[in-house]
Amino acid sequence: MNTHQRFTLTQSQKMMVFILSMSLYGLSNMITELIPKFYLGPIELSVEYFAFIPLSLAMIFHPLYAAIGASLGEVIFGEIMLGQFGGIGELEKFIAFSLAIFIAGVSVRNPENKKQVALGAMVGVILHQFISMSVDILKVWVGVEELEAVEGLAESVVVIEGLAFLNDVLFSGILFALLPTLYLVPRLYGKIEPLLGMKPRKNDLQLGLSDIVTVPFVLATVVLGSLSFLFEYLSETTFGWEWEAPLVDRFGEWIVFPMMAIPVIVALVVVSYLVKRKGRKDTDGYSEVV
Amino acid sequence: MDVVKTLTDKLSIEQVKIELLNTAYGYHHTFLQRLDPRTLFLWYLVFGVVPFFIHSTPVLIGLAAFLVVLTIMAKVSPLIIFILTLGLLTQGGSYLIVGLFFGGNVTAMLPLLKLTLKLSVISMASIVVFCSMSPEKLSDGLLKIGVPGQVSFSIGYAYRMLPTLVEEYHHIFLSYRLRGKKPAKKGLFYSRHLFYYIKLLIKSFYPLMLSVAKRSRTMVEALESKGSLYGFNHPKVKQLKLQHLTIKRRDVLFFSLSISYFIALIWLS
Repeated sequence: MNTHQRFTLTQSQKMMVFILSMSLYGLSNMITELIPKFYLGPIELSVEYFAFIPLSLAMIFHPLYAAIGASLGEVIFGEIMLGQFGGIGELEKFIAFSLAIFIAGVSVRNPENKKQVALGAMVGVILHQFISMSVDILKVWVGVEELEAVEGLAESVVVIEGLAFLNDVLFSGILFALLPTLYLVPRLYGKIEPLLGMKPRKNDLQLGLSDIVTVPFVLATVVLGSLSFLFEYLSETTFGWEWEAPLVDRFGEWIVFPMMAIPVIVALVVVSYLVKRKGRKDTDGYSEVV
Repeated sequence: MDVVKTLTDKLSIEQVKIELLNTAYGYHHTFLQRLDPRTLFLWYLVFGVVPFFIHSTPVLIGLAAFLVVLTIMAKVSPLIIFILTLGLLTQGGSYLIVGLFFGGNVTAMLPLLKLTLKLSVISMASIVVFCSMSPEKLSDGLLKIGVPGQVSFSIGYAYRMLPTLVEEYHHIFLSYRLRGKKPAKKGLFYSRHLFYYIKLLIKSFYPLMLSVAKRSRTMVEALESKGSLYGFNHPKVKQLKLQHLTIKRRDVLFFSLSISYFIALIWLS
């Protein structure tokens, strides 16, 4: 245990990983914003993001700090500096992306094992795209008042977002996450760590994969699932009768939505807390060997 | 032929660099810029969130009109407005087309239009607020409302490092081009050339990663020697740093007037 303790990341090393991930992914984000898109019919051939940067950093260094740094880099370079910061909407992206990269990084136990690296990269991309797809679908389902009244809208949203999901996973996922990560991780492993004054992550010391990957993963799916259920359930019931002010009478439904925002916020807070706690356990324990 | 020509023109990083720096560092002096960041955050909390839960068309139209005025006042760059409208239109349009395919009819248009209106109100609110904050103001404001010091440091760091990073990346990219060779065959629609360039873009990150790693180590060590890592979240340091933030009369006026407009709208409809 003592020897493991010695390899635990210090505060400033975490900061180094954070800054490294932030500036690199931020820069790449600016570049991808500028690369033009191509359309082959409904299929969009675009460079969605250079996911390989945070993915390979999360596999080589501490997954949590690499993930959060990358998300922050995206917000700063890609949004604030280009003047397109979306406020609260960015929070969802931030959480989804951090979670996906974190899980991808944690699931790779041995950066020299190509199979694990490939699997981790794909897991990260699929998870991220899945979360953003679900959020997009929910946005329309909640934002449009009488969804059932409009024939075909509910299905069409699912179809469009589903197509975009497949497109992103298959095109961006393979070309810009899987292949570059496979190219970079073995090259960087053992080379980049000394530059930050760390030792490479060791192969023989492994994270307890089963209990780390599943908890946030299951939690995220459960949260997402219950959220969609909640939205559906609440839209059926009317809370309007409890309120007698003429204002609310008139806008009976919207009173429901702030109420629904509460579980959403609670869920997000819980997820981020858990992720953080997991990350901390990760360093306090014996897993992060640097 | 021309496709790749224009593409390489676009990829001429020199041009892109100038564009980027213009967007990142060019700020206008507007009325909204003089407001306190906290006022803007609070205002955004109201106008960026509440509209999502409003289903009444007149209220949404009134809000949209108000926000258009503010957007004009904020002197938002035309490019951003263009991107915003394009995004809203294409998204709404594609839903409509597929909706028709699934047996809907043109009445599908109305709720969709409403949704588009709602989303544009929300995006305008965020554009108005965040375009009228300079980076220092944004990071100070975030620090004030309790966001960790690391975040506001990162914003400052990003603004400082952007030109250096872009310069370095460009150098690496150029050296890869110098040593490499473009594929002799163009391929279908210049796809070979395209893939060649994209491959270079990706490969260029490898040396960059190493040099940025070195640089971030230097950075953190400098921070350490100044005690910044300790000072980031120290209340006294924060107090000293954020002394200049004060709520003035124009803040109160702006906030109360816009809120009363909002309430009046709901009342009237």
